[in-house]
Amino acid sequence: MMTEEVKFSEINKVISLRKEGRHEEALKALLKAAERADNFVLQARYAKILSTLDSSVLKNRPSIKVAVLSSFTDKFLCDILKFWLFVAGFNAEFFESEYGTMTQTILDSESKLYQFDPDIIWIFTTFMDIKIRSDFERPQEQVLHDIDEVIEGYSSLWGVLQNRCRAYIIQNNADLPPYRTFGNFDGILPNGYLNILRRYNSSLLESLREGVMVFDLEYISSLWGKERWFELTQWYNSKIPFNLDAVGEVAYQVAWLIAAIKGKARKCLVLDLDNTLWGGVIGDDGLHGIVLGDGPVGEAFVDFQQYILELKKRGIILAVCSKNDEANAKEPFLKHPDMRLKLEDISVFKANWANKADNIKEIASILNIGLDSIVFVDDNPAEREIVESFLPQIVVPAMPEDPSCFRQTLDSGRYFETLAISAEDSKRTEYYRINAVRDNAKKDFCDLISYLKGLEMVAIIGSFDEFHLPRVVQLINKSNQFHLTTTRYSENEVKAMACDPYTICQHFSLKDKFGDNGLIAVVILKKVNDDEYVIDTWCMSCRVLSRGMEEFICQNLIEICTKRGLKRMLGVYIPSAKNGLVADLYSRLGFLPTTVEENGNTHWQLDLLKASDKLVTHIRSSNQ
Amino acid sequence: MDIHDVIKQLNVIFCEVFDDDSLDINETTTAGSVDQWDSFGHITMILAVERVFKIRFTTAEIAETKKPGQNVGTFVNMIQKKLGKIDV
Repeated sequence: MMTEEVKFSEINKVISLRKEGRHEEALKALLKAAERADNFVLQARYAKILSTLDSSVLKNRPSIKVAVLSSFTDKFLCDILKFWLFVAGFNAEFFESEYGTMTQTILDSESKLYQFDPDIIWIFTTFMDIKIRSDFERPQEQVLHDIDEVIEGYSSLWGVLQNRCRAYIIQNNADLPPYRTFGNFDGILPNGYLNILRRYNSSLLESLREGVMVFDLEYISSLWGKERWFELTQWYNSKIPFNLDAVGEVAYQVAWLIAAIKGKARKCLVLDLDNTLWGGVIGDDGLHGIVLGDGPVGEAFVDFQQYILELKKRGIILAVCSKNDEANAKEPFLKHPDMRLKLEDISVFKANWANKADNIKEIASILNIGLDSIVFVDDNPAEREIVESFLPQIVVPAMPEDPSCFRQTLDSGRYFETLAISAEDSKRTEYYRINAVRDNAKKDFCDLISYLKGLEMVAIIGSFDEFHLPRVVQLINKSNQFHLTTTRYSENEVKAMACDPYTICQHFSLKDKFGDNGLIAVVILKKVNDDEYVIDTWCMSCRVLSRGMEEFICQNLIEICTKRGLKRMLGVYIPSAKNGLVADLYSRLGFLPTTVEENGNTHWQLDLLKASDKLVTHIRSSNQ
Repeated sequence: MDIHDVIKQLNVIFCEVFDDDSLDINETTTAGSVDQWDSFGHITMILAVERVFKIRFTTAEIAETKKPGQNVGTFVNMIQKKLGKIDV
């Protein structure tokens, strides 16, 4: 989360980009900085900047006409709603009713409202519009009668609107104010103000008809915090009926409801696995090592899965996109007792080592849905960035670090708003799963190189000193997938090798623009004879896979061995149940095969005198 | 904070709120002479002033600024008064 000061300076950067005519970049930076929780001053700036960007960068979005009818000043709302509708995928035009003329505007058949021909009419009422006298001594029938009368009033306005135009109607319910003249007893008094409004809200829902939807302002005011919501300084001066700082939240929420009305709600949730659906890495930690089930963190992952399962039950299609071996990735779904999600809940299951943007494109193509129907959830900011930058149509929520907040983050995005449920919904997964079997996807590679360059990766090379020893030992003994020889060494053994002049011991750390990945690779080379050293151990954390780290390490080893005057570098691959991932590593790096043993071990060599071409990598060494 | 400092800071706020770098306000500047200084711009500007100067206007003070004939000078006086109170 950026602080307010940082936000303002980001906005100044956006403005300089705009001045330089770099509108595309300005828009990207603007969308990155803007959050619904930002205060009104910021929201107003976002709206203003968007309106000044070159129209060529704002294209490719369907236009939508929205009429906002209210009994107060609504210009401030329209400007900011335009911004958040843009985020939700629309170019919006607005019609605003003149102050205090909502009813007249609707009833006058000549009014400009009908010339405007809106797609959406938003009747923005608040509790202040529900003028029912709350005298606790009044007979209840009278109060009920009054409530009915207010509802009938709105209902007949809906009728007029529906007769005269094609617009879909959204109407607010009443935001319950926090004042209670009777204290807790207010809820017990049938004719107390609080209960009148509660009753009004439930009657409003009962009176809905086709083409009319309620916008739950009561929910949003609670969510935002009623004490601040009802700071009404701006009401008395400018007839703005809630705290202006909540405008971003209101606009965001209604934007996604409007998206649903226009059929643009998201349909499909693509999920990462490791550290998203469970804690830990299945390939390294194994079925019994992942965190899921008992314990504080394990329970949070279970609850997140339960939430996803509920989305699936209401018709959201689920897909998996994970960097894993497929068999490893599926194991928890098949065998872990605390998995809420089962394989049959997943319509498309992609577990491989290709980049996720390509995988998601393929998922969309298999399911035959647009990229703009997808929400992608991944704990890893680097993966999110690649998907976001290559596939901007996809919504990629910024997941928090703590899994206990995953459910909240995904839910509050409002990507899956709906207007109705149908029996079809719950069958949708099955339908898509069967469809997915005929996998006719075309591969279309995104520009991985520019992505890797953009990561600004820097590697730090070091020895096995006291400071790094514990992590070196841990990595050697914990790695399963990227571990060529599956060696396991104790701390004392590693120490001894580190002191031996005929053993080369290197560790590698990797930083990128998202932060420090820490010590992620360890290599040990042992002397065979005066001309040859063999790679005894090479293990690496899978979280940095496919980033060019293998090439970087190999290049570093070539340089070291060349300096020592060696002629050849040897490599061995000893297959295990989990290291299939690196079976072809040496071949990829330009080693030539020499022998294959009966047990499957393969031996490789690299002629250092001939290895003149440098391996391509986009990682810079910090020592250079 | 002297009157020139307040006007200088106010000018920055005006440029941001009205998205116009060329604005150069003084005490006599009125709403009529600034493009976009409508009622919406007025509210935005008040909230921005509250944030930058870390002060809070009362409903009555805001009402005062909306009276006809008010200008930047009115704002400057109000801000100085508020800031003075904090110093004491």
